[in-house]
Amino acid sequence: MFQDVSSQLRKLVEKAIESGASYADVRYQKRDSEVITVENKMLKSYSSRRHSGAGIRVIVNGALGYASTSDLTKDGLERALNSSIKIAKSMKSGELGLGETEANKSNVELTIKEDPFGVPPEEKVSIVMEANKASWIGDGIKSAITRLGITKDFRYFSSSEGAEVYVETCLVGLGHDSVAKVNGVMERVPYSESMCAGFEFIRSRDWNSFTSSISELAIEAAGSKTPPPGTYTVVVDPRIVGLLLHEAFGHASEGDLVASGESVLYGKLDKQVASELVTIIDEGVVEGGYFYPFDDEGVKKRKTIIVENGVLRGYIHDRTSSFQFGVDPTGNGRAQDFENTPIVRQTNYYMQPRDYEFDELIEDIDFGIYVKGMGARGGQVEVGMGTFTFSVGPSKIIRKGELAETVRGVVISGMILETLKTIDAVGKDLLMRTSVFGGCGKMAQSVPVGVGGPHVRVRKMTVGGR
Amino acid sequence: MELSLAGLAVKKAVSEGADEVEVYVQKRKVIQVEFAEKIESFKAVEPVGMSLRVVFGKRIALHSTSILSEDEVLEAAKKTVKLAKVAEEDPNWNHLNRKFGKGPAEGYYDKEVEDLGYEEIIDTASSVTGWIKDYDKRVTPTRGILSISTTITSITNNYGEECSRKETNVVIWARAKAEEAGMKGTGTEHQESRYWKGIKFQDLALKTAEKTVKFLRAKPIQSEKMPAIFRNQIFANILGVILSGPINADWVQKGRSPLSNKLGMLIASENVNIVDDGVLNGGWRTRPFDDEGHATQRTLIVESGILKNYLYDSYTALKEGIESTGNALRRQYWIAPQPSPNNLILEPGTVGPDEMIRDTRRGIYIEETIGEWLSNPVSGNLNATVTHGYLIENGELKEPIKGVVISGNFYEILKNGIELIGNDLRNSGENYSPTVKLKELTIAGK
Repeated sequence: MFQDVSSQLRKLVEKAIESGASYADVRYQKRDSEVITVENKMLKSYSSRRHSGAGIRVIVNGALGYASTSDLTKDGLERALNSSIKIAKSMKSGELGLGETEANKSNVELTIKEDPFGVPPEEKVSIVMEANKASWIGDGIKSAITRLGITKDFRYFSSSEGAEVYVETCLVGLGHDSVAKVNGVMERVPYSESMCAGFEFIRSRDWNSFTSSISELAIEAAGSKTPPPGTYTVVVDPRIVGLLLHEAFGHASEGDLVASGESVLYGKLDKQVASELVTIIDEGVVEGGYFYPFDDEGVKKRKTIIVENGVLRGYIHDRTSSFQFGVDPTGNGRAQDFENTPIVRQTNYYMQPRDYEFDELIEDIDFGIYVKGMGARGGQVEVGMGTFTFSVGPSKIIRKGELAETVRGVVISGMILETLKTIDAVGKDLLMRTSVFGGCGKMAQSVPVGVGGPHVRVRKMTVGGR
Repeated sequence: MELSLAGLAVKKAVSEGADEVEVYVQKRKVIQVEFAEKIESFKAVEPVGMSLRVVFGKRIALHSTSILSEDEVLEAAKKTVKLAKVAEEDPNWNHLNRKFGKGPAEGYYDKEVEDLGYEEIIDTASSVTGWIKDYDKRVTPTRGILSISTTITSITNNYGEECSRKETNVVIWARAKAEEAGMKGTGTEHQESRYWKGIKFQDLALKTAEKTVKFLRAKPIQSEKMPAIFRNQIFANILGVILSGPINADWVQKGRSPLSNKLGMLIASENVNIVDDGVLNGGWRTRPFDDEGHATQRTLIVESGILKNYLYDSYTALKEGIESTGNALRRQYWIAPQPSPNNLILEPGTVGPDEMIRDTRRGIYIEETIGEWLSNPVSGNLNATVTHGYLIENGELKEPIKGVVISGNFYEILKNGIELIGNDLRNSGENYSPTVKLKELTIAGK
């Protein structure tokens, strides 16, 4: 189907320029996805989706117009073009500029061994069913949901500057959610693992032991206490480090939020924003993360150093924000799909590991908490102040340098720049994660991201609970 | 056009061997402006999609496509039947909704919204940034979205039933900051309405700006247990986060809800009345029929503290042999319908918010929170970070507070914790609540 529309799309860009646009680009997308859900040992749904269409972006007199359509006929595409021009003109004029970039011509496809859409549906169902059954480990388990997710995303970008980029990627994963009840206390543990790979990733793992271990944790958590609220020394596992960095620091390093002045990192370039043990990177292709070699403006996504030894070195940019800052775009202009315009987004955002073993991180903690990510429910941040709050998974008390009892209902919160300054040790491990089940949300757009880091020790963390 | 294409899909699926077919078609027009100090982007998109639900015996599959061409629709119908044939049986499956209906819903479509021109939309967004800037020279608008949509939804099935509805929605949110001598305050406001005139743009801009200045000097307080007053929209958010799942019949039937087996029992104090109203005039999720074509209605959830009903779609209702409450919702056209609140409402009381504050010797007024959606509906553990609050002393709002964490158990709060329910009902999306005063709440601060 794509061959039919590709020449049509290139023509559309030319027509936009003829209609008075100083710049135009068109993005075509075809995304196929499947989610198989088994709930309480029964197939709840087999759902499949094709999401396809094209969007056109024009700049007229410095004002940006955007329109999209799923009607890929000549008429449908031209209607979208006319809307985009009309919208740009309704603003009369603007001051929008795009940062300079090379006009890339590239065709990148993630290497996969087995196409997930070629695997017989019944085989996929049976993997999910078996995994769900394995999670029923005792009377304490009240409910269990298992999901298999598959997404294959093909994107094409063509611009009036001559760029032409094709990227195809594939993301697969399995998620599970157990609810346990112990002595009247219910606790839920959701967790998932995904990989940019073909179906070989699903075949390479023992999902039955994966789901049963989630159930074990749910039962253990339901039978445990919540920690007394207060300020603790904590050791944070890589899952939460990744989440925390992404949400509380990553968003603040997004060029558009800095340009508008709402980011807590506004005006902090070349200043100390974290302990000198902290180095933070955003990179397009990292093992375990989301595969993102080019952004949705045709810019190559390279390795961007955000923080180096605690000093803020740069922000991430799309072409619009890079123009405002007078720097090169960093390949962070991403759109959820063809119905949205690219905005500044993170790709794979992580903290670089250092030299501590896990035991060394906890050995001098008299009383603290080992904050864990398995079962975490996510977090939220106010970028202006850098205030964050995260509901983490069942965690462990650290007593006299050793891991002790499990605690549930742990919520960490703080001001990110203060929290990062109290990091006094960074582990040597590195774990990157991505997810087929949910992405990162910003301005009503959700995109898959990778997050990660090593274990770190934070000297002062506010812990809420009951 | 939608229904004829849908009819084609039904026919094709039946000819491929489907026992039942439901076709759900959605066509939307969305116009969206993003702004900061200036207009940042402006777009018009037309998302369309068709979702097929095919039943083969008791085997069910769902497939959707955003390409509404005849070829694609035929291929989609064929594919869905193929998936259904390999799906496992759901022994609880009865049948699709065989009888479509209409509830007495009004105020879910505004012609003015559909007919808005690009110029008026852009001028409105520009006015909002202007009002924020003009409020005070320390204030800058930092981010906002104005989104206007018209949605046509059509449903048909193999039982010859069909229905169609057209809805409009307007959402705006704005964020701003104030800066002065190294201090920084932020503010956010949002409004959602079915009507263009339902949004008070200037009011939103001024409130956003005012907040930023007031919170320049905000800081955390020491940890303390104290009475807490929640602003209406904030309590509405919390109500939705905690209760939407547990009152869902699907959660109840699967034993996932803490409210299972509690019908007729006291789960809240006597002054608590909660309803789900699918026909609330102008309500955010008001519509004549739900996403399975079933008539919507007003359903009592909690009456004088007693749990009265759960919310049903066809599947969960037929499982119990009762009538659906008209609560089937597709969060997106490609997602299977699930029981969900239409408009979840904590019914207002008689006390004004000002009076509540006046009668509080010491407490916290909670203006804005983040992270409340991380609360756990199963255990009832309530958690949120207060980004904007005030210390109440001797009946007056005193110093601004930020960065403290509130925690408690929502089910205990419902039973014993609510002191007063306000008279100022307001919505945050589909959740409605007045201002609410709690007797005591744990605040984790410095």
